[in-house]
Amino acid sequence: MKEISAGPSESQLIRLAADGDARAIRQLYDRYSPRVYAVVRRIAGDDDLAQDYAQEAWIRAIRALPTFRGDARFSTWLHRIAVNAALQALRKSETRKKREGPVPDQVPVAPRGGDALLQQRLERALDELPYGMRRVLILHDVEGYTHEEIGDTLGVTSGTSKSQLFKARAKMRDMLTVLDGAAQESGVEAWSI
Amino acid sequence: MEHLNTEILARLVDHAPQPEEAAHIAECDACSTELEAMRSQTDALRSLPEIRPPQGDWHGLEARLRSEGLVNDPGLFRRLGLAHTPGWMRAAAAIMLFLSGTGAGALLTSPDAPEPLGDLAMLSDAATFANTAGVEQAATAVRVAEQNYVTAITRYQQLLISESGVEAGGDPMSRYAALEYLATVSQAAVRQAPGDPYLNGMLVSILGEREATAQLVASRGNWY
Repeated sequence: MKEISAGPSESQLIRLAADGDARAIRQLYDRYSPRVYAVVRRIAGDDDLAQDYAQEAWIRAIRALPTFRGDARFSTWLHRIAVNAALQALRKSETRKKREGPVPDQVPVAPRGGDALLQQRLERALDELPYGMRRVLILHDVEGYTHEEIGDTLGVTSGTSKSQLFKARAKMRDMLTVLDGAAQESGVEAWSI
Repeated sequence: MEHLNTEILARLVDHAPQPEEAAHIAECDACSTELEAMRSQTDALRSLPEIRPPQGDWHGLEARLRSEGLVNDPGLFRRLGLAHTPGWMRAAAAIMLFLSGTGAGALLTSPDAPEPLGDLAMLSDAATFANTAGVEQAATAVRVAEQNYVTAITRYQQLLISESGVEAGGDPMSRYAALEYLATVSQAAVRQAPGDPYLNGMLVSILGEREATAQLVASRGNWY
């Protein structure tokens, strides 16, 4: 995460935001919203849901700001809130909206040239993964959680987390192979892993 | 030995293989290639970028933050660089400003209307007094605020009541909305200085006026 050299320090921003200072909240939002939105979007697997979940995550975070003691980095604290908000919201929604048609264009913060196609395929494959596999794969392989942390977050054993992860990786591999094959058949540049 | 299935290969991305698995990978080009692909896939997932939220996302969030009372509007004082003005002084000056320029503004649009009761200078005066930080000057500021308030409320009443005794300006709903705002500001002022008789008196007057206006609105079901 980039540090901002000018202006209030992060701890000052947090204190101001906890007091309801709109500018401070906006600055925290500007700094961390891409990270929050990314994890929430991937867990949700849907743009509309992602916006709702991201908003819920920010509301929870701002509400809880007065309790933030700085024991963990703010970005880590916020990230956990976002993950929990998205997971809980998704759990609550009994019928998850299934998007049809092409994956909407997302705006990565730093698109990296030739990697754009790969990223698009990965995001699409992630969206198509069954929910149980997807959340473990995102938490472990994308967000870097340990199996113990995933177990605590999801209320499962670390063994279950591992098992789901291996299934998810295998499923992803199959889906990416299919996507690459389809791309090659239609003459589109494919990215092969 | 048969090829390793993809779940086993997925495990081998970050776990050591069993001896027989290692032996197979060493001999099988297909499985070692597939394992490399699985590792590349995992690396690629780890490198996925952050995603910028859709445009307008902040506005939706901001609206909700406000609706849940999680944001304090920076307000006129901060915008004017007067953020260090004491809270009670801000509230009093805000009320005067509201009466003089904002809340009654709708009533003052008539060419025959009297001149506005004040302007930003009143606010600046109050803030200047506050910034001087002396007790005597603060007391002077309170007296000035009180005098201005009495003048303002008198003029306000004059604007609302025509010679025939009928409300002259605005509709009752607008007036009620204005009084609602005034009550909110006054309540904030009283919270800052709960024992202040002047502020308490002001709040009681405003709440009474608001109640009377509410009754007027209710009695005129088809006022619009």
